[in-house]
Amino acid sequence: MHPVLQLFTLIALLLIPQAALADAESLRESHVVEAYIELHTHPGRNYPVFYVAERGESIELLKRRTDWIKVRNVRGIEGWVHVDAIGRTVDDRGEVLGFTTPDQDDFNTRDWELGIMLGDLDGSDAITGYGAYHFTRNLSVEAAYTENYGDFSDGKMFTGSIVHQMFPQWRYSPFFTIGGGTRETNPRSTLVDTEDRSDGVASVGAGIRIYLTGRLMLRLQYKHYVVMTDRDDDEEAGEWKLGISAFY
Amino acid sequence: METGYKRVLLGLCLTLGVLPALAQEPIQVIEPELDRREFEPPAIDSENFEVGLFVGMISIDDFASEPVYGLRAAWHLSEDFFFEANLGMAEADLTSYEKLSGGAPLFEDSERDYQFYNLSVGWNLLPGEIYFSETRAFKSDLYLIGGVGGTDFLGDTWFTATVGIGYRLLINDWIALRMDVRDHIFDRDTFGEDETTQNIEWSTGVTFFF
Repeated sequence: MHPVLQLFTLIALLLIPQAALADAESLRESHVVEAYIELHTHPGRNYPVFYVAERGESIELLKRRTDWIKVRNVRGIEGWVHVDAIGRTVDDRGEVLGFTTPDQDDFNTRDWELGIMLGDLDGSDAITGYGAYHFTRNLSVEAAYTENYGDFSDGKMFTGSIVHQMFPQWRYSPFFTIGGGTRETNPRSTLVDTEDRSDGVASVGAGIRIYLTGRLMLRLQYKHYVVMTDRDDDEEAGEWKLGISAFY
Repeated sequence: METGYKRVLLGLCLTLGVLPALAQEPIQVIEPELDRREFEPPAIDSENFEVGLFVGMISIDDFASEPVYGLRAAWHLSEDFFFEANLGMAEADLTSYEKLSGGAPLFEDSERDYQFYNLSVGWNLLPGEIYFSETRAFKSDLYLIGGVGGTDFLGDTWFTATVGIGYRLLINDWIALRMDVRDHIFDRDTFGEDETTQNIEWSTGVTFFF
């Protein structure tokens, strides 16, 4: 390694942990600016309030579970505060912490999406688990695993797709998708003289995502598959799916 | 010849494209000196994932009740809802018919491996608190769960719907004890005609939040 590069690496190594530590120290402290905030015994709106932190009181933020943050005050009292209440407290520099509950704005700017779908693939029951990464607000890449269970065969399908949503700011957000992958078909064991086969698939589809509440959305889609078989004719199949997804 | 036309067209396009851009150059009167504040909430540890193991018994339709074990992983979306993935394994013994008839077994040993997996959505229906001692109270949840998945059994994969009810008791912030009753429902035609089978799993487990 070049000596200058070595020096830089050394400096970087020395600086990074300290910077990280300093950040963690200063950011975890918070001061109440509202008249009071309520501490619940457990993370949930139904749990009793057992302590009230007053204006100016300093609280330490320990961890977050869903929309609740565990805090500790200077006297060592620990309890759970809703993020909306914590979001109005300030740090040492007097800046609002800005914690929020997930809402439609977060839906519009989501990075990750994970969901399950149920539906019909060419007359047979089908289920899908999928994950998506949004690299712009309009475009995302998706990986999906689908299983379908027919009377004569069941199938497993791995596909990758590109999804384009035209109006990412809409609550009812339509999208187009194209993709491809592989499909494995396993004929039922009650049938004789059949073999498992593996084929390539290509797909095109359209659908709609509907923001529900919190981190949840509904997804409805239609996809048209072309299965590229070794036989003379390619198979075509239509697929309807309805699913529920969460975003992050 | 064709390239020539293309060049002319391209040149025309570029000229037309550049001219309006030059004409519309904005005139900067005041230099804005905005110090934009980034609303970046402090990075504190969030514990929304739960993973764990379970053991129990599963009553396999047409077969006996057998020990079952497996893995659960959940993502808590809010205090009310969570996604959960499950993977479980059991091994079926002989059917009653095979035992009584004394004849050759109907299935190979490998076909008797019962494996199920599903993706589910859970709803914390009744959150609660257990008063263990005067100074100690534990959080609990009674939840309903439903999902879809597959069951590998008797040489085929069957589309399976799972419904159940469960109880989660958190002994501290991150360790939970779980009790679950789940019905795995699937249609099977192994014995000639289509029949709906109900396979009830009863299990206990321990899970960890991180």
